[in-house]
Amino acid sequence: MASQEKISVYNLADLKNTSDDAIPNYLNSLKFRQSHRLTDIRLTLGYGALAIAAACLGWDYKFGFDATKYYTAAAVALYSLLNGALTLWIFYVERGTIYEGTAPSSAGGDTIRISTHTKKNVPEYNVTVEVTGKDGKKKGKVEVTKPFTEWFDATGHFVAAPFQSVLATAVPAVGKADPKRVAGPKEGAAATTTTTYTPEILEALAAGTLGSETSGAEPKSGKKGERRRKA
Amino acid sequence: MYSSLVRIQNTFGFFTTVAFVVAAFIAASDFVTPRAPVVNVLKTTNLQVVRGRPHYYSSKKEEYAIIKFTLDADLSSLFTWNTKQLFVYITAEWPSTSVSGTTLPSNVTSNQAVIWDTIITSPSADHLANIGPIALKKLRKSAAGKPIDPSRGKITLKNQRPKYQITHPSGKIAETEDVTLRLHYNVQPWVGVLTWNQNADYGLWNALGGGLSKKFNLPALKKKDEGKKAKA
Amino acid sequence: MLSGMANPRQAAAQLMNFGLIVSTAFMMWKGLSVITDSPSPIVVVLSGSMEPAFQRGDLLFLWNRNIFSETSVGEIVVYNVKDKDIPIVHRVVRKFGTGSKAKLLTKGDNNLSDDTELYARGQDYLVRKDIIGSVVGFIPFVGYVTIMLSEHPWLKPVMLGMMGLVVVLQRE
Repeated sequence: MASQEKISVYNLADLKNTSDDAIPNYLNSLKFRQSHRLTDIRLTLGYGALAIAAACLGWDYKFGFDATKYYTAAAVALYSLLNGALTLWIFYVERGTIYEGTAPSSAGGDTIRISTHTKKNVPEYNVTVEVTGKDGKKKGKVEVTKPFTEWFDATGHFVAAPFQSVLATAVPAVGKADPKRVAGPKEGAAATTTTTYTPEILEALAAGTLGSETSGAEPKSGKKGERRRKA
Repeated sequence: MYSSLVRIQNTFGFFTTVAFVVAAFIAASDFVTPRAPVVNVLKTTNLQVVRGRPHYYSSKKEEYAIIKFTLDADLSSLFTWNTKQLFVYITAEWPSTSVSGTTLPSNVTSNQAVIWDTIITSPSADHLANIGPIALKKLRKSAAGKPIDPSRGKITLKNQRPKYQITHPSGKIAETEDVTLRLHYNVQPWVGVLTWNQNADYGLWNALGGGLSKKFNLPALKKKDEGKKAKA
Repeated sequence: MLSGMANPRQAAAQLMNFGLIVSTAFMMWKGLSVITDSPSPIVVVLSGSMEPAFQRGDLLFLWNRNIFSETSVGEIVVYNVKDKDIPIVHRVVRKFGTGSKAKLLTKGDNNLSDDTELYARGQDYLVRKDIIGSVVGFIPFVGYVTIMLSEHPWLKPVMLGMMGLVVVLQRE
């Protein structure tokens, strides 16, 4: 199933954003419980700063500069503090996190945190998944780098199946919740030839003709085996 | 949204950045250019105090002083590639305690009034000067091809009439004591920081040498008709 | 792009980002105001009365604190005349007295006469508190945009609309 929307394949930010948006959709459809903690704190900091600026604008408009300059000075200081905290939060705590959630207990109940980034002018999607067990112990980290061409067709349509397959195959917690998207691990470990999504298959997927029977297709199995061991 | 518009945005953004960096370098270049302005002569040559209307638009008659002076100064080192114009002005300064018959409050202690000023444009700003077309042609010819014209900052004036007749809010200015003339300048850059004459050396910029006349007293009031004759 | 609006948190974040851009610009302006102690620390020259030093559209940076010395003769100041809302940029040419009650007279370098005519009725001199700052820095031409905006009023909604569209349609 291709998304209705078409994006420009030359716009890296669009590629990343569309992919980022697809992750929560996919995982939540697998009954993952999404945690909005990071986003909520970011929104609190941001809207707090906005409220201060709005109040400052209000009293400046109503009473003029000279009557309120000490309040304005305090507001400027507080605003820079909140904005600084927001910046630190985004850079050191969120670190590009786009999803935090817990797998359904049938699939192990692990908590995963997914962060993504792209490098300038490199059309590749870098996904980092940190997995924490039920007991709060860190279970490991998976890093996947895949070209966007694997799940975008030439016209800029997003194709969900190969994208979901990448996630399900790389992250055991996701794979357990959605076994049919996992590229067969046994044959995969042994296979030397790899089946990648050719443009033709992508087109076909986009048209919805192939559906889920191709979800077993196995991209770059050797590497994947390694990742699984790491995880 | 993408492609052309984004490219225009990026190009414009880059252009702005470059423009501001270049401007910052030009502005900073002022600080590494030495300045050594000197006033060789500044003295009064003729003093008068008259009662009348100091300007055509004055509403009331009051005492005003006409201070003629002689000036010889070399401010040519203030002209650099970033100088747009030099504003040179001479003030008369006096402490207010010496004003006879003043009714001003006691916190008023000093008085300063411009008696003469001039704008010396840098060759790069000649086209902006507010002068007639013939004078402008002459001015531009005088520095043709030169980005910096060292002759521009040299001022020699003999028995110069003041541009402004100075008054005092009290309406009285005759017999004011301890008046001095002081030369000031204000360097207007093409971009950057505006600077004025300094009392001390800062880095490569020397304080203005000289620039202060001897103390003098303004004379007693002249009769109105006498004043008119002097003006004519 | 717009599909992100379906998610309330994403919509809130996008709105916040736009708000933060605007509010940061505003708070930087206010911060500069606080530092310089001037309600309007950057002004655009609107008239030619200080030519050739300042032309229409030049940007002036103001400083309104008297840390080392009082505002004195020769400084170029920006003042507001009582009951008139147009700031005027002229040079101080006379100063009688010191402190907050000093009487200041201003004149445009390019004007023949001093500013007595410009002042309010019955006002012969300015005092310190009429002044909102002395000019300390100069950037040519950059402020011309604001003059264009005020002279061609239709430009303002057009530009605001374009900016709004870009921000709403663009993520990051």
